[in-house]
Amino acid sequence: MVDNPLGLQLQTCWLPTRASIERLMLMKIEFWLNQPNQNKRSISEIVWATGDIRQALAELPPIVPLKVRRQIERLLQPWPQGRYTPAYHRSGGILNLFTPQWGETQDEVWNKMLAEWHAQTFPDDQTRYAARAELEQRWNNTPHPFLSGLTPAQVMVGGGKQEAKLADKFLTYLEKFYNETEFESEGDMLIKTLMFLRSWQLQPLSNGQTPQQIILAERTELLNRRARILAERA
Amino acid sequence: MAKRTRRESTKPQVRSVYHEWIHIADQVIAEKEAEPRPDNWQQLALEWCTSNEAERSALASYIATYHKKLGVEWARDMLRLEVFLQANHHCAIITHYKRALRAYPRCALIEAWVVGHILRYDGEIWQAREMCLNAAAELPTLAAPFYELGFIHYLLGDFAGALEHFNQAAMRVTAEEAEQAARIFYNRAIMQLALTNDKQAAIAGITEALHYKPDYAQAKEALHALKHTWRWFQW
Repeated sequence: MVDNPLGLQLQTCWLPTRASIERLMLMKIEFWLNQPNQNKRSISEIVWATGDIRQALAELPPIVPLKVRRQIERLLQPWPQGRYTPAYHRSGGILNLFTPQWGETQDEVWNKMLAEWHAQTFPDDQTRYAARAELEQRWNNTPHPFLSGLTPAQVMVGGGKQEAKLADKFLTYLEKFYNETEFESEGDMLIKTLMFLRSWQLQPLSNGQTPQQIILAERTELLNRRARILAERA
Repeated sequence: MAKRTRRESTKPQVRSVYHEWIHIADQVIAEKEAEPRPDNWQQLALEWCTSNEAERSALASYIATYHKKLGVEWARDMLRLEVFLQANHHCAIITHYKRALRAYPRCALIEAWVVGHILRYDGEIWQAREMCLNAAAELPTLAAPFYELGFIHYLLGDFAGALEHFNQAAMRVTAEEAEQAARIFYNRAIMQLALTNDKQAAIAGITEALHYKPDYAQAKEALHALKHTWRWFQW
């Protein structure tokens, strides 16, 4: 007899690299945090509204492993006031699932912005810091070439219900398409997977929208909801 | 006391495979009577490894700058690389570049030759991008580094960046490089379509690709799809 509706789901999927396995786990957690629960609010929304991470963590089923709990705790931390540097360590969703790891040192967009700021002269320190703060917000909200065109803010917020469905569909296609394929190397596998992903994200679906458009619109909507909730809290 | 069993390391095996490749390459070089000597190593490297004037000039300039650090051994390594490139043996090209040629002063031209293999066989996107950026800066007349940058940005999902680099490659590619020109114009057309949804511009671009390579199956298929019921297609 089972008196707990909690069920375990087993899912298999084909992935080209070890790094993408780790990223997939993170992506799934990000999706889950944005899924509305019975009272129509997602865990992320509850935390944005209350500012209380402990309550959200306390509601997790006991079966959730410690490693996952720690990741959830990290993802639910308040966002920085300035530049959203934690975006470097988020999954970036399905559009960034296979992109090899990169970090701040490789971030040419930020480095260029920073170099321009350094080159400028300011009348005083206050103006200088204000310009830097403005620059950080600009970076947060500028589509980034290394994030498949998502902004760091869109990466921070995570994917929603629609992206979760699209990601599942894509991973099913990927498995069907490549499971029996022989590759020359792991690199070959990665490049062909990325080509498959880029082709898929531009393919219009039955509603005329591409997966890329749906994902971007949903992440923007999640950001708007976050802004509304934070404004209500204030 | 139990006798310790000796475990064989995988490293000597890898080394022996590499040495086997080197041995085969040296046989090819010997068959062609191309033994580098102190009096001919520069000429041999230039004749064997370059396929057009731009490459020849870039390699000559590299030799002139670093001739004290180069020499007969370097020329032999270059000839071996050329044998591997001709055979399109990805693993041998990458291994030889990493084990032998990286020990010499950095050469943008050599990097432009091997980067495609590092990208497509090793999947080292960031390393490949850095090599391409260096090659594009050092050898601004070559189309290849810009083409590879376009492809890398496509893989990263940065379609605007990809188009920008394909445009740069299209400006540099010559009629002699027909195969590469076809790929550049095709990929550029696909990126234009992704960004602007302009079917007519895409049709014009793909037609241009077919001008360079009339039997380009993918381009033919894409052109047919664009003229009828269009769908996205794989590269």
